Amino acid sequence: MIPILAELTGNLHIGLAALGAALGVGFIGMKASEAVGRNPGAATPILVQAILSTAFAEGIVFFAIYLAR
Amino acid sequence: MMTCFSILTRRTRRVIGGGLLGVCALLWAGGAAWAKAPVVPQPATAAVEAAPAEAAAAPAKPEHKAEAVEKEEGLPQGAPLLIDTRIHGEPIQVNSSMLITWIVAIVLIISAQVATRRMKDVPQGGQNFWEWVVESLYNFLQGIIGPSLVRRTFWFFATIFIFILSLNWFSLIPGVGTIGWGVPNEAGALTHITHPLLRGPNADLNMTLAMAMLFFFFWIVWALQVNGVRGFLMHLFGPKGDTKGFMKLLMVVVFFFVGLLEIVSILFRPVSLSFRLFGNIFAGENTLETMTALGGPWFGWLLPIPFYFLELLVGFVQAMVFMLLTAVFTLLIMPEEGHEHH
Repeated sequence: MIPILAELTGNLHIGLAALGAALGVGFIGMKASEAVGRNPGAATPILVQAILSTAFAEGIVFFAIYLAR
Repeated sequence: MMTCFSILTRRTRRVIGGGLLGVCALLWAGGAAWAKAPVVPQPATAAVEAAPAEAAAAPAKPEHKAEAVEKEEGLPQGAPLLIDTRIHGEPIQVNSSMLITWIVAIVLIISAQVATRRMKDVPQGGQNFWEWVVESLYNFLQGIIGPSLVRRTFWFFATIFIFILSLNWFSLIPGVGTIGWGVPNEAGALTHITHPLLRGPNADLNMTLAMAMLFFFFWIVWALQVNGVRGFLMHLFGPKGDTKGFMKLLMVVVFFFVGLLEIVSILFRPVSLSFRLFGNIFAGENTLETMTALGGPWFGWLLPIPFYFLELLVGFVQAMVFMLLTAVFTLLIMPEEGHEHH
């Protein structure tokens, strides 16, 4: 197991960042849908918040890409 | 009712005619400037251009050829050049992304002008369609950024939405990306087009970056127009909330550093905006191409069909996201009373 891990090359951190960002976007979507289900009248403010948070979560991947060697 | 109608039609005419024309002109200028100094390093295109010459010259080294073949699969990151000449020493370059951008812009402008040439009180056909598009966009944006801001900025957001959506959907028409020039493989079959005549323009980072930089420019203009220079700086660095005494001093220091962080995130906005659109559309084009290759000669037409529906959805969602994000970014820099509309 250890030698396999040691042989890993490439930009692993971009993959990890993409994983985290995908999870984050998924959670945001889940919670936003839940919130709209509870309070359909607040759909527009929730949409704004969700879009903003999604942008921030996605931004992590771009930071990771720029840190790539 | 009548005044409402006349305002709406005037707005339709202004937005679709003037706004689109202006933004398209700026986009072309931006695209041309970026095409001269490409942002994306283009190893793929270089390899593609080198490949025929290499094949013609001599049986090349096997490793190099294998590498070139490997790179030919999928969509190259840089758009292939269609025209590459010099007139009076000035380089004139037209690539396939620029060509499709011009075609879509001309189609949009002509259809809008034709639809609004003879305006009727009860709209029909093209006029009805464009009024429906503009009116629904206006009401949607009004709900998000408020009535005063939407009057100032609607022309930009509507244009960017209609333009991105048309580009995305136009580049899904069969033939875009598959009609062009290519190099046959060893068996003599042409399986991959290296120089497509048309290519999805949002699968080109130059295009999306030009739009994002354009938004960034207008964002600064609007922020300075509404806030003034002092208000703009206070919005970024000024302390929020009401604290008194020593805590107030501490908050000033804290919010100064918060402002520095905010400037970093603001500077990253054009990057993330352009990369999001580019990444989604580029990945979509690549998926379609891979699925066609996977199906082989018999089922190449069948496998991409589900993904075409996915791409229709992605094209709409990404146009929406680009417009919404730019709108919300603009809302965030406006003074506080802009937020009370929700």
